[in-house]
Amino acid sequence: MFFHITLERNMQLHPRHFGPHLRDKLVAKLMKDVEGTCSGRHGFVVAITGVEDIGKGLIREGTGFVTFPVKYQAVVFRPFKGEILEAVVTMVNKMGFFAEAGPVQIFVSNHLIPDDMEFQSGDMPNYTTSDGSVKIQKDSEVRLKIIGTRVDATEIFCIGTIKDDFLGVINDPGVTA
Amino acid sequence: MSGEEEENAAELKIGDEFLKAKCLMNCEVARILDHKYDQLQQMSADPTNQISQVFEKSMQYVKRFSNYKNTDAVRQAREVLSRYKLAEFELCVLGNLCPDTVEEAIAIVPSIKSKGRKLEDDAIEKMLHDLSLIKKFE
Repeated sequence: MFFHITLERNMQLHPRHFGPHLRDKLVAKLMKDVEGTCSGRHGFVVAITGVEDIGKGLIREGTGFVTFPVKYQAVVFRPFKGEILEAVVTMVNKMGFFAEAGPVQIFVSNHLIPDDMEFQSGDMPNYTTSDGSVKIQKDSEVRLKIIGTRVDATEIFCIGTIKDDFLGVINDPGVTA
Repeated sequence: MSGEEEENAAELKIGDEFLKAKCLMNCEVARILDHKYDQLQQMSADPTNQISQVFEKSMQYVKRFSNYKNTDAVRQAREVLSRYKLAEFELCVLGNLCPDTVEEAIAIVPSIKSKGRKLEDDAIEKMLHDLSLIKKFE
């Protein structure tokens, strides 16, 4: 789920950047350092939307660097266990399939795919129902429920299920008869 | 890290910080990211080398899964959903997934029927109906 939250960070700046454009340089450095990163607590930082406040700079003992406490707003993506969302299938194999929802990757094991769907190998590996009416393959859109999250150093990885009610392939009413 | 105090979105157990935070529907995020992309384009000749993969993937995702394309519809959707006693998180899940029936709505956001804050079926029915009207007349 996407959130718009306020975050804080201490930014260190070398004195060579001091001058009339100090604030701009600080904001640029903030964007470079933080955008695209991921933490277990806040999820993926997708984009910084604004800087709320830059506090007084404190010169560090021993070096000439100055630390500024910066408060900023950002759009973050944080998946939650139990959350239901839509994703795009990226890879299908006999263990299950991988899907992506924004920056996060979700794996759905074949144990959590309805029993009436069987794996078909081939050029376009897929899971299909016995009557062929529902198919999951690369680029299919599915609605799944996240049942677990794991936080790495640089990303969050999720496992999901499509076995519950109202989960599975999303049928575009404009496409199917 | 994860798993502290049993996180569970189905029961709205997502931590205080996120319960009180502003939640965004995919269509709202699409507008913000579009705006940001335009800003980057204005600032440098080649914006693509400044965008992180996270930004790129998120932008593609929200554009693909946006239910409402124009600004007015997005605003109306949020307005309709805000009339009911929903938590921000619940509001956005409903706005993103646009369930067709009351049964589906309860299945995807079970917390609307819990914690003594029970949303009546009639109210849910009306809310879904109003949402579908916005889409129809977009």
